[in-house]
Amino acid sequence: MSDPPVANRRTSHSPPLQRELEGAQRAILSRPSIPIRHRLIFSLLLCFILCGLFGLVALTRIRQVRGQLDLLEALEMLYSRSLRVQLLERQEGSSVEALRDARARVEEAEALLAADAGQRRSPREAEAYSKLLSRLADYRSLLGRLESAVDVQERGREMAAAQALEAEIAFRGRDLVHRERSSVARLLRSSEMLFGTMLAVLLGFFLLITFFFTRALMDPMRRFQAYTRRIAQGDFSLIRPARAYRDEFSELALAVNQMLAEFQTNQEKLIQAGKLTAMGTITSGIAHELNNPLNNVAITTEALMEDFKALSDEEKWRLLQDIYFETERAGEIVKSLLDFTRDERPDLVPVDILEVIEATRRIAQNEMVLNDVRFELRAPPGLPLVRGAANQLRQVFLNLFLNAVQAMPGGGPLTVEVMAEKGLGRLCVEVRDEGIGIPPEHMPHAFDPFFTTKEPGKGTGLGLSICYSIIQKHGGTIEVTSERGKGTTFHVCLPLANGEKTGAEGPRLDRGPAEA
Amino acid sequence: MAEKSVLVLDDEPIVGDRLKPVLEREGFEVEIFTESERALERLKERSFHVLVTDMKMKGPSGMDLLRFIKEKAPSTQVIVITGYATIETSHEAQALGAFQFIAKPFKMKELAKLVSKAARGG
Repeated sequence: MSDPPVANRRTSHSPPLQRELEGAQRAILSRPSIPIRHRLIFSLLLCFILCGLFGLVALTRIRQVRGQLDLLEALEMLYSRSLRVQLLERQEGSSVEALRDARARVEEAEALLAADAGQRRSPREAEAYSKLLSRLADYRSLLGRLESAVDVQERGREMAAAQALEAEIAFRGRDLVHRERSSVARLLRSSEMLFGTMLAVLLGFFLLITFFFTRALMDPMRRFQAYTRRIAQGDFSLIRPARAYRDEFSELALAVNQMLAEFQTNQEKLIQAGKLTAMGTITSGIAHELNNPLNNVAITTEALMEDFKALSDEEKWRLLQDIYFETERAGEIVKSLLDFTRDERPDLVPVDILEVIEATRRIAQNEMVLNDVRFELRAPPGLPLVRGAANQLRQVFLNLFLNAVQAMPGGGPLTVEVMAEKGLGRLCVEVRDEGIGIPPEHMPHAFDPFFTTKEPGKGTGLGLSICYSIIQKHGGTIEVTSERGKGTTFHVCLPLANGEKTGAEGPRLDRGPAEA
Repeated sequence: MAEKSVLVLDDEPIVGDRLKPVLEREGFEVEIFTESERALERLKERSFHVLVTDMKMKGPSGMDLLRFIKEKAPSTQVIVITGYATIETSHEAQALGAFQFIAKPFKMKELAKLVSKAARGG
């Protein structure tokens, strides 16, 4: 099948994604093409040829056996006729017609034997036949002479010679009949063997074809099944060639890759939307937090203006100081907000996870304070850097923190514990709350898109699924453990920036530093 | 006319600091609180003519105080201050019998006027 060049199909993807897609598609297309259709046609043709060949062999064999049987019949006929001739000879004054008739039969047998003599295989058999033939020739001329003999004495002599010859011919004929019988039996036995072998070969060939075609169909199907499972879990990395050649399934792979590229584009948009949703959740908190210092500045300024003359210098100084610090406070809030949203490039670079957690804590601080949630960070000193996109990781932790806050309506501790697992080349963060927990029946769906237990309008059900896809894109893992009524813990593990085991985690990681 | 009493609750200390002299000048007896737990205790001890409270705070919220006061001393007029006004919270406050709903940042003059009006109305 001829496809239009992949690059022309769509131009809406971001350039690195477009490059990746083109790379994958080229890799798929660059292999030699062995379509299943051609393989099927070839195999069936081979099958047909093999069947035809075996049919021909069988036909030849049958003809051979028939020839042998004809010969055998001729020999037996000769044997019995010569006996009859002998009998005829014994009767005195046998008619010339009978003799002529006997001669004609001998001639007939001779012709049959002569025709067959060419096909004799072993020299011993050939010799036996040629002897028989020469004796038959002698016998025939003897019969000729008997026909023309009139003298009784001469006739008697000739008769004696004929009788001796007949005995010899009968003896040779018997011997040959015996030999031919066993030869026919041999031929039949060997034919049995031959047909059995042909059947076995055909069966083997069919099995081989079945095996190869089952494999050619089932292997890719199983592979594509695995792809769909992987895709369902939110892993949208492109399909790479799995075999050395391509076939009809490669066309499917091309189409799936095209779809995956679309998914990735949509997912990037979804992550962006999820970020806005998370930000929306904390907007009230931020507005509240920002309005406080603004209000303080406003009322302090008002107090200064109203009572400017009545206030002592000391009081004025105190008010101005309030304004100064409240302005600074407002600035800090704006700064943490900017920290949270800056760095839009989703490149994977070395990132200090503690900075990410701290920036997220700052932005969610007000939400936590208002809900009586105490934040506790446990982290050993000298943590290694992880490889990640800081803004996306902040989004993940914001979602986890807000989830924890929502899980504890009456407040409680939110514990964040960071551990380096250098042996595994990763760093893990546990986000633990002591909230209501997730019911066991909801656990398998915790990261499913649009799965939410919140009232309509309170949650999109996308938060955790976005966390999942972000962490997956980082080549990390996110898991959840929960105990009803005791709390929920999210375990997030990310590959280290210089970890040696990170290479195999995913193609996206390899791309990171080149573009950083 | 006896002095009318006002309780001001805001977890921002500056709010109380600035409002106290302004309201006192208007002739009110003013008590300032920055923690809602303390304010709640005080409200259990005595009644005020007017309660000025922030909405979102650590501990009991402005809405909790409003609910409490309307049960215990319905004559107390409540002015709710909020850093983030939504229609829902505004409606809820009105339904619970709040006198007025005011958003930050506000003008002290306006708030003082509101308190006076509330005190007269109550």
